[in-house]
Amino acid sequence: MSVDRTTAPAFQIPEQISFPSPSKRTLQNGVHLYFMSTPEISAVKLEINADSNRVTGLEEKKLVASFALHLLTEGTHTKNSDELDAFFDTFASEVEVISNFEHNGIGLLTTKKHFLKVLPVFRELMTEAVFPEKELAKRKSQKALSISIQREQNGNRASHLFRQQLFGASHPFGQISDEKDVAAIEKSDLEEFYKEKLWANPEVFLAGNLSDDEVEQVCQLLGTLPVINTLSGHTHFENISKSRLEERKESSLQSSLRIGCHLIPKTHPDYFGLWVFNVFLGGYFGSRLIKNIREEKGHTYGIYSSIGSLRNADYWVVMADVIKEHSEAVIEEIYLEIEKLALEPIPEEEIEIVRNYLIGNLLSNFSSSFDLISRFKSIHQAGLDFSFYEKQLDYIKTFKPEEIQAIGKKYLQRSNMVEVIVG
Amino acid sequence: MMINYQKFTLDNGLEVLVHEDASSQIAVVNILYKVGSRNELPGKTGLAHYFEHLMFGGSKNVPLFDAALERVGGSCNAFTNTDITNYYVTLPAVNLETAFWLESDRMFQLSLNKKTIETQRKVVIEEFKQRYLNQPYGDVFHHMRDLAFDRHPYKWPTIGKELADIEGYTKEDVEEFYLTHYSPDNAVMVVAGGVKADQVMKLARKWFGDIPSGKIPKKSIVQDLPQTEKRTKEVMAEVPTDALYKVYRMPAKLQDGYLEADLITDIIGFGKSSILEQKLVKNGHIFASIGAYILGTVDPGLLVFSGKMEKGQKAETAEKALNEVIGELLQSQIQDDTLTKIKNQAEAMKTYESVQLLNRAMSLAFYAHLGDVDLYEALYEKKTSIPASQIMDWAKNILREENSSVLYYKSKEE
Repeated sequence: MSVDRTTAPAFQIPEQISFPSPSKRTLQNGVHLYFMSTPEISAVKLEINADSNRVTGLEEKKLVASFALHLLTEGTHTKNSDELDAFFDTFASEVEVISNFEHNGIGLLTTKKHFLKVLPVFRELMTEAVFPEKELAKRKSQKALSISIQREQNGNRASHLFRQQLFGASHPFGQISDEKDVAAIEKSDLEEFYKEKLWANPEVFLAGNLSDDEVEQVCQLLGTLPVINTLSGHTHFENISKSRLEERKESSLQSSLRIGCHLIPKTHPDYFGLWVFNVFLGGYFGSRLIKNIREEKGHTYGIYSSIGSLRNADYWVVMADVIKEHSEAVIEEIYLEIEKLALEPIPEEEIEIVRNYLIGNLLSNFSSSFDLISRFKSIHQAGLDFSFYEKQLDYIKTFKPEEIQAIGKKYLQRSNMVEVIVG
Repeated sequence: MMINYQKFTLDNGLEVLVHEDASSQIAVVNILYKVGSRNELPGKTGLAHYFEHLMFGGSKNVPLFDAALERVGGSCNAFTNTDITNYYVTLPAVNLETAFWLESDRMFQLSLNKKTIETQRKVVIEEFKQRYLNQPYGDVFHHMRDLAFDRHPYKWPTIGKELADIEGYTKEDVEEFYLTHYSPDNAVMVVAGGVKADQVMKLARKWFGDIPSGKIPKKSIVQDLPQTEKRTKEVMAEVPTDALYKVYRMPAKLQDGYLEADLITDIIGFGKSSILEQKLVKNGHIFASIGAYILGTVDPGLLVFSGKMEKGQKAETAEKALNEVIGELLQSQIQDDTLTKIKNQAEAMKTYESVQLLNRAMSLAFYAHLGDVDLYEALYEKKTSIPASQIMDWAKNILREENSSVLYYKSKEE
């Protein structure tokens, strides 16, 4: 029996994808808790996310939030650092720090078996931390070292410089931390931040195989957390006219490139078109940039473009580490690919591939119940809900190539781009 | 929690496992080839990993592998290590047959055209630079492996010993590698997710049934003699601070002593409550960080301590401090609460790992390749019931100076 290998098997593209929403509860302190039940999974994930108030923080104290969060597990009123370490390790539970552009918080990964034992101690971290001097000193020297290592890593350095150029050196999103910033952190800064700023507009995200009673216990414990209600400040960014920053290194074998600009909010009518344009250009393994720079020329191990998510307006960035001598040529090729994609007719076959790939990708992203809470969190924090994905699916199925071409041309203009080269 | 599976073997030797998960609308097809850098020869190092790149370069009926998969809503990736090369496809379960078409065609009749061979050579050279040469501390394992092993292919990392080897592969090297290792009797296929076992069996017979078994016998792998003397090496590099790597030879994955070695590193190095973290990092001034782990290899491997020093501290001083902690450990008894902690962690790790469908598929493939899928459960049971005295006996056996190799990776700036 010999099979006919010359013809591809028939295939279908799923018409519908289900986007199950979490249930919502309001705690006694007004905090909202979102719970996704995952009956078949014994792991439990609990996260509390607050708005980061970096926008209003002092520039020389830019590392306060990150230090405060990392020191929460280094001692509370009832347990010292060693006891906390032993406790969380004994119950095989991981406490994770959340510290990014727009959110501060902590997360807990544990098992159903140990959840109720670990929960009260996790709750203690939110209000009972004492920030001991000895642990602070150690954390400071570790942080200073990791900053000096990151500075030697071309990729990291390029990303930092790119953000500095894009958001401005004085804006919290664009600031680059150095050893001076580490030295400036004192215990009193952490105490003040913890008491007066950390728990601003917090929200709770929970997933696991939990009974109503177990969820209720979370609600009770977190319902007593004193919270701060603030109007969170969000800056509006404008694209600056084209700028180029180079940090050349004699000893480097490759150059790290970062090129990008500010985009539009997720609620903008052009958003999905721009998102699809990015996929064609550099957003998946079959993209134009991968095909040209990696698979045709062999100038790089990887080149991708992506959309960074921010509450008010997203931004766009291309990232690659390329052969040093070809860095200028690669930059020209990137602009050329944007132009070709925007102006020349897109082959039917490529359109079919991108549509189907994106639908499959969306199906896959929503296939693990344990991941649903994270998908919900990211879209919820952008001020939207799962109807965003319904619309996205609809757009993937129906977009017209001319439409995304016009949108790509409109927003990805060379004159708006920040270029960074390190190495 | 066990991972459910059904298993059958085709006449040509292909082992097929099915893990049904009715809650999933997607399917994972994971194919593990029993080949890694341990099957390479000096002068041709890195070939297994480079070959992984060529597997995406098209086959007789599928000129563009990625595009053919993306067209049906799928995506894929792969990795190579010292022992295995593992390929995985994720796609809507309704399109399962496409994965069979693609994977069987590249197992049966890979194109290996000149353009792919040359471009992927460049891409892998850039990967080598990006990840190993142009990164602070990036070449540590090139030095470490070279020092710790004598002739065994673990002497070089999976990416390859040096760029020259990658530059030198010929078309014949590549073709011979394909014929030797990429046959159904040298592979394990796991199909997982929204699939049915009888459907998978039919598809496996249809698409893989007529692929012939391997033609060229595998070469035997040179094994090292036991180490009898401590080895040391000093490297000066443009890094912000000294680093210390101290490794000990240890038993292979299925040999006696392997699980004990795994437990030793758990006890000494897992989590913030571990001995290393408490004594050397939190309450010491020499180490900024230190960890302990084993390379879980199919042939005898290494138990590794790796640490970075605080600014101004020397790697040699750090080794002395580490030796003291190891010396104390060897004189002591393992406490019951430490064993409880380790058991809890082993149990929780299994829970966390099994959350993702792809991880479940990979675990099944990995243990099948070791010879028996049930080892996944059996080794876990065995590991969590080893008495403390037996762990200590192995600690004394493994953590001997004459069984160690030390790399002092020193900062030029200091």
